[in-house]
Amino acid sequence: MRDLLVIAGAMVLVLVLSVAVASASSSIGLVKVTEGTATVQRGDETLPARLGLALEEGDILRTGANGRMGVVLRDDTRLSLGPESEIRIDRFLFAPAKGHLALVVKMARGIMAFVSGNIAKLSHDAVRVETPVAIVGVRGTQFLVKVE
Amino acid sequence: MLSGERSYERCRGSLVGGVLGLMLLASCATSVPPPVPKQSMFLVIPDPEGKVGQITVTNQTGTQVLNQPRQASTVQSANDAPSPPATLQETEIKQIFGEALAAQPSAPARFVLYFKDDSDELTPESEILLPEVFRTVHDRGALDISVIGHTDTIGTRDYNYQLSLRRARKVADLLVAQGVDRKILEIESHGEDNLLVKTGDQVREPRNRRVEITVW
Repeated sequence: MRDLLVIAGAMVLVLVLSVAVASASSSIGLVKVTEGTATVQRGDETLPARLGLALEEGDILRTGANGRMGVVLRDDTRLSLGPESEIRIDRFLFAPAKGHLALVVKMARGIMAFVSGNIAKLSHDAVRVETPVAIVGVRGTQFLVKVE
Repeated sequence: MLSGERSYERCRGSLVGGVLGLMLLASCATSVPPPVPKQSMFLVIPDPEGKVGQITVTNQTGTQVLNQPRQASTVQSANDAPSPPATLQETEIKQIFGEALAAQPSAPARFVLYFKDDSDELTPESEILLPEVFRTVHDRGALDISVIGHTDTIGTRDYNYQLSLRRARKVADLLVAQGVDRKILEIESHGEDNLLVKTGDQVREPRNRRVEITVW
């Protein structure tokens, strides 16, 4: 019986470790600034945007009336949101050696400050910000967007 | 909160064919009103280094290029062309975007430390850099530190993988000794597979014997 428990325990551990590795490798950046109500929605899950939280492609970043959030992506792109804001990191591809470069951010509402990183530096058409009424092509570097 | 879910996920029902699809579409139409056009403003400002870049604002009715400091374009709806560039005052910018700018994180800091030939011992020149690395880690309240070891192409690929792992671990240990939490360290070994200076096999190259540190 004890042996069985040890084996079961080991299996759980392996599972936990493999999940941890999977999430680390798919991470596209992290939360570096957070204040007030700020959340990250991943699929059906809504996570509080704590400092150091690893981000994934497809994450929706949201702030409440008193919220702010700043994130850094793997290519050094920096995004920050004021209150009542919402963006989705729709696409993030940063594998320069393979020529795979893309960043698409969809903005639903609020205010955002954007400082482009290495993806924009390496490819002139790879970075895009989409709002409900227009699309921004980003050569670099810093710009601001407001969606009412 | 709901508005965002609407705009991203749309209605799945529209993908399903036949009567079921129509039913879903109908129920969806009652619960989700069509999206309201949202006015947007776009504005270029100098980056933290003082450089002004360029963005292009486009929709189906027009395009505007913004590449001068504090140049803005406004788009009323998807059916209205982006307005010609207008220059905003700094006070206006602060008023509208101050809260987003206040949450802007600093860019990650990067360091490269070099090692002696076939060794996990730092060169004297890199040893001198350590206090600056430690200070940066401390001042930024680092949340994540990536430590990647590399070698030149002398020796076998397997041997070099182990050597660059030793180098990365050495640097990681130095950071931990300074009070860095091991949990925020990401240690990687690239061996001879990621040369800074491209060389053939079996070439001594001091610039390839390195550990790259990124402080987030």
